[in-house]
Amino acid sequence: MNASPRSSVAEARPSWPWALLAPGLLWLLLWFVAPLASLVPMSLSEPRDRFSLAVNFTGRLDNYAEVIGQYAPILLRSLQIAGSASLIALLIAYPLACWISFRGGRFKGLLLGLVVVPFFTSYLVRTIALTTLLADQGPVLSLVRALGLDGGLESIGLLSDGRLLNTAAAVVIGLAYNMLPYLVLPLVVSLESIEPQWLEAAADLHAGGFSTFYRVIWPLSLPGLSAGVVLSLIPGLGDVVNAQFLGGPNDRMIGNAISNLVLVQGQAPKAAALALLLMTLMTGAVLAQVRRHGSRELTAS
Amino acid sequence: MPLPLSPRLTRRTLLRRLTLAGAAAAVGPGLLAACRGGGGPGAADGDARGSLVISNWPIYIDPSQDGVPGTVERFTKQTGIPVTYNEDYNDNDAFFAKIQPVLAAGKTIPQNIFVTTYWMAQRLIDLGWVEALPLDAVPNAANLIPTLRKPSWDPTGAFSLPWQSGIAGIAYNSEVTGRELDSMDDLFDPAFKGKVGFLTEMRDTIGLLMLADGKDPGQPSYAAAEPSFKRLEQAKQNGQIRAFTGNDYQDDLLAGNFAACVAWSGDVAQLALEQPKLRFVVPESGGMLFTDVMVMPKGASHPAAVAEWMNFVYTPAEAARIAAAVQYITPVEGVQQLLAKDPATRALAANPLNFPDAALEARLKIFGPLTPSEEVRFNERFATIISG
Repeated sequence: MNASPRSSVAEARPSWPWALLAPGLLWLLLWFVAPLASLVPMSLSEPRDRFSLAVNFTGRLDNYAEVIGQYAPILLRSLQIAGSASLIALLIAYPLACWISFRGGRFKGLLLGLVVVPFFTSYLVRTIALTTLLADQGPVLSLVRALGLDGGLESIGLLSDGRLLNTAAAVVIGLAYNMLPYLVLPLVVSLESIEPQWLEAAADLHAGGFSTFYRVIWPLSLPGLSAGVVLSLIPGLGDVVNAQFLGGPNDRMIGNAISNLVLVQGQAPKAAALALLLMTLMTGAVLAQVRRHGSRELTAS
Repeated sequence: MPLPLSPRLTRRTLLRRLTLAGAAAAVGPGLLAACRGGGGPGAADGDARGSLVISNWPIYIDPSQDGVPGTVERFTKQTGIPVTYNEDYNDNDAFFAKIQPVLAAGKTIPQNIFVTTYWMAQRLIDLGWVEALPLDAVPNAANLIPTLRKPSWDPTGAFSLPWQSGIAGIAYNSEVTGRELDSMDDLFDPAFKGKVGFLTEMRDTIGLLMLADGKDPGQPSYAAAEPSFKRLEQAKQNGQIRAFTGNDYQDDLLAGNFAACVAWSGDVAQLALEQPKLRFVVPESGGMLFTDVMVMPKGASHPAAVAEWMNFVYTPAEAARIAAAVQYITPVEGVQQLLAKDPATRALAANPLNFPDAALEARLKIFGPLTPSEEVRFNERFATIISG
C-alpha cells in the first residue's frame, strides 16, 4: 500500500530552510521575544529599593490597576492625537497615491522617491526643524497672520492664544507629516494592483468618475488603506518625540509617560505594565487588520 | 520632562560644534594631534598616569575657539594626559538612569570624572557609587571658597569638588514682555499666557515657587511644598505654561516663544551676548542656589590623573578662564581679583550674579535634603504635573 501523498511530501520536505531561518529566529528570540517576555514578570513586581534596578516578583496586579487609573486619560488622549494625525495623513496620502498610481506614468518611481526622500533625514532632526517653522514668530504663523486667518483658525481650535507650537494641533501636524510615507506606500501597492482594464470595464458599463471610484477603486484600495492606517497609527500611538518637542505640558502622550516612569521616577514595573497594555492594544489592532485583509500590504511596504 | 532627547544640547551648541569641526578640518591633522596631546612626554595611552574620560554639561567649560586652546587642550599640553571630554551630561535623572544599571551591578563606567548636581552627588555618595577623591594630591583644592567646604551634600568634603555654582531665577525677553519683571507672580501674569516656561529640574522650579509662597525650600517638607505644586498644576492646566524644559529653554527664549521662564544665571548671561533684550533677575522672594560638583565614580581608574585634572582646574588662572567663559559662580578663590585686573573681564568681576555679594547671598537658598520617601513623593507629584 502506498503512503498517502501528504506524508510523503512531509518526508521529502528538506530541513535546510530552517537552517537559513535560524539566524533570524535566534535574533528575534534573543532581542525581541526574550525582553518582551521579561516585561511580564517585571510588570507584576515591585522595586526592591529605590535605586537598585532589582525587583521583587510579588505578582502585584495592582501595578495594572494603578497605571490604568492614573494614565487612562493620557492613553485616551494619545488615541485621539494619533487617530487625528492618521486621518489627516490619510486625507493627504490617498489623493497623492491615486495620482502617483494612475497619472505617474514613467515618473512613478521618481515620484515615490520624492515622497520618501525627506525621510532620509533623521526623524528627530525633522521634528525639531518643525519647531522653527511653527514658532510664534515663525514662517507659518507669520503667513497665517498676514492672510488674516488667525481669528478663524483660533475659533476652530487650531490655534490656541494665537500660537501653534506647543499645542496639541502641532503634535497632530508633526505626527501626520511623519506618517505620510507609511500611508502612501501601501496605498500605492494596492492601487497598482488595479488593472487598467477594470477601469475600462467600469467605463464601458457607464460608470462615471465617482461611480468608478466608489465601486472599483475604493474597495480594491481597502487592504492598502487598512495596512497604511495600522502602520501609521501604531508608531504614532507610541510616539515620544512629537509630543516632546511640538506639544505643550497638556499634550503629553503615553510614550512620554512611560519614559518618565523609567527615567525619572524609577518605576520600571509600572512602566512595564503600561507598555504591555499599550502593546496589547496595538497587537489587537494588527490582528484585526490581518484577519480582515491578510498581511500582504503590511509586508509589501 | 527630561528625556535623553531633551538635552542641554542646544542649537547654539550644535552650531558651535559645527564651526569647531569646520575649524579642525581647515587646520588639519596638526590640531587634532594637539588635541590628543600628541608629542608630549607620556602622552601615550599606556602611560602610568593614564588618560581621562570626563562627562560634563554642555557649554560648561572654556572651549578651544578660533585657534585659542581651551581648558582641555591646555591641560593635555601641560600634563601630557589625554582627555576624552564629553558634553553628554544633559539631565541629572537621565544620566543617573544611564549609569544606574552598571554601577548597581558593581561594574565600572568609562568616566573617570563626571560633573553632577549637588543633590545627585548626595544620592551617589549615599549609595556608595563614588570614590573618595585623591585630594591629598590636589594641593589647589585649598583654593576652594570657604562656604563650599564640607557642604551639606558631602559633609566630609571627601567625595566631591565643586565645578561651578549658579542661580535659578527668572529670565525674560523684555521685548516680548514689554516691561521689566521682578517677581515669581509675573510668571503667572495672564498677559503672558502660553508664553511661560518652567524647568524640569524639580528643585529649581518648586524651590522658587516655595520661596514666593513664603516657605523655606532649605527645609523642604511635602506639606510646605503642596501649595506650590498646586499653583504649578493650575497654571499648567489653564494653559499659562507653554513648556517644561531642560536647558533647551534657551532656544525658546531666543526665538521669542517664551516671554519669561525659570532659567539658570550663567546661561542667560551667555545668551544676552546674542540677544541684548534678555534679562536675568533673582525674584524678589529669592533665588535658588545650586552647585554642580566633580565626582569620581566607583572603580574609576587613574586616580593620579583625576587629581592632576582637579588640581589644574583649581588654579585661579584656569578657573578664571572657565568662569569668564561660562559666566557662572566659580568655587575658586582669587578668581574675582584676577578677572578684575583684566579690562575685558572687569565687569564680570563686579557682577553679583557671578560673585554674589552679601545682599544677594542673603536672598539665595539651597534646596534642602529630602528623605527617600519624601523624595519619591516630590518626584511623583512633579512628574504627574509635567508629564501628565
